[in-house]
Amino acid sequence: MACGRACLILQRRLATSAAAERVSAAEVRSWRSTLFSKEQERQRSLYPRIEKIEVTMQGAGVQGTLLVMNKGLSTPYSCSRHLTDWHVSSAALALVDGEPWHLHRPLTRSCSLTLLTFKDANPQLPNQAYWRSCAALLGQVLEGAFKEEYNVELLRIPEVPVTAGAFCCDFVLDPQLDAWIPTEESLRSFTRDANQLIHQNLPWEPLEVAPPVALEIFSHSRCKQEEVEEKAAQSPNGTVSLYRCGHHVVLAGGPLVGRTGLCSQYEVTALHTVGEGPWGLQRRAQGLSLPVNLTAHHTVWRRLKQRAEKLVEIDSSVASETETTPTSSEATSSSSQP
Amino acid sequence: MRLTLRALISHGRVARRMGLGPESRINMLRNILTGLVRHERIETTRVRADEVQFYAEKLIDYAKKGDTNEKSMKMADFWLTEKDLIPKLFKVLAPRFENQPSGYTRMARLPNRENLDRAAMAVIEYKGNPFPPLFPVKQDNELNLVNQLLKGYREEQAQLSATESKS
Repeated sequence: MACGRACLILQRRLATSAAAERVSAAEVRSWRSTLFSKEQERQRSLYPRIEKIEVTMQGAGVQGTLLVMNKGLSTPYSCSRHLTDWHVSSAALALVDGEPWHLHRPLTRSCSLTLLTFKDANPQLPNQAYWRSCAALLGQVLEGAFKEEYNVELLRIPEVPVTAGAFCCDFVLDPQLDAWIPTEESLRSFTRDANQLIHQNLPWEPLEVAPPVALEIFSHSRCKQEEVEEKAAQSPNGTVSLYRCGHHVVLAGGPLVGRTGLCSQYEVTALHTVGEGPWGLQRRAQGLSLPVNLTAHHTVWRRLKQRAEKLVEIDSSVASETETTPTSSEATSSSSQP
Repeated sequence: MRLTLRALISHGRVARRMGLGPESRINMLRNILTGLVRHERIETTRVRADEVQFYAEKLIDYAKKGDTNEKSMKMADFWLTEKDLIPKLFKVLAPRFENQPSGYTRMARLPNRENLDRAAMAVIEYKGNPFPPLFPVKQDNELNLVNQLLKGYREEQAQLSATESKS
């Protein structure tokens, strides 16, 4: 009898220690979010006094406008708020001295600013940024969609050209879910979650961090740490760009668009199993989305959705925006150029 | 004639009165038509443009019959006051509208004239003229997101149909 009691107590002790080893997903999220906020505060405190910089606007209608903004505090979004409401709602990406710049990233020196929209003469940069942001949103939805006991590992966001028909997010699920095949209902619930995030109109907060800080933020996930090291090796000045939306921190190869509210039609179209990777059974979630001022008619949307349900093959040699044929040999990207 | 009230009220009368009388009206329309044949797009008052439209199309119908036709030559000679436009009518305008049965002119309304009279203006032109279009067609940009997705879709459909036709 006492022996049975001792066994129970031992079991309970062992169970608690086992649970303490597995950090729950919510804790991981809050850990990453608090570290992100701390780093954000630290970077903001680098400019204790307000210094002024001069920003010259470029583009149709605002060519040559001079704005006097605060150094390290003002963002292209705040510059657009000085112009008109249309500039605020239509701006997707900014070009600072010819360099793609996230809308909410602070400006650090006097420069020339161009606000890019989806209806420009050459919207390729905003299109690519939009595709990347939709993939990041899909990753966020997937992370929060499964129950606490199942672990979701998001892999890198692959650089898919827009002509491929769908944006992808590669991820690895808990080994317990290896046999799980997603049904239409589950895809619809992912779409509903994504639409909720879009409705909340959350901004993507950018942050350029040094690799050690990024490694600390992603200390719970080995594959994310590898991705950080790869990105740090590739970037010209050794920093890694992180983006936070709500409580989810994501690593991206290029700038994202300003807010989730810019997407209007968003649908998670398919979830394919790609194969066994170094981290487990790799799956690819695909989706289709269009921005607010470029919606499609429902007949067109249906056909594009049918195309987006097919598996998008990612060629490891894709550098320019070339179409990937469905019959080409499959090769998951290991070092794709952003 | 009976001096009834009917003569004073013009309900339902379709014939317009222009200028000093019928002969003056024809002369005015002749001048406007000459200008139209010379420049292929002119701006006048709305009423004059509407009147001249009928005569402009009739003139083309006569010109289509060929310059050897007596009646056509007489019509062209009467209606075109500047005689260097008669070869232009037969050699340029008539062949242009060979395959069209009717509808050689287009009229578009304009804002009222800025003068004191604030006259209602219109522009009338022969179709197929070398100027930029009166109603410009707004082309969607090829490179925007929807068009790029559709381009990918079309290419894939073309590939699928090519592989199907091969097999």
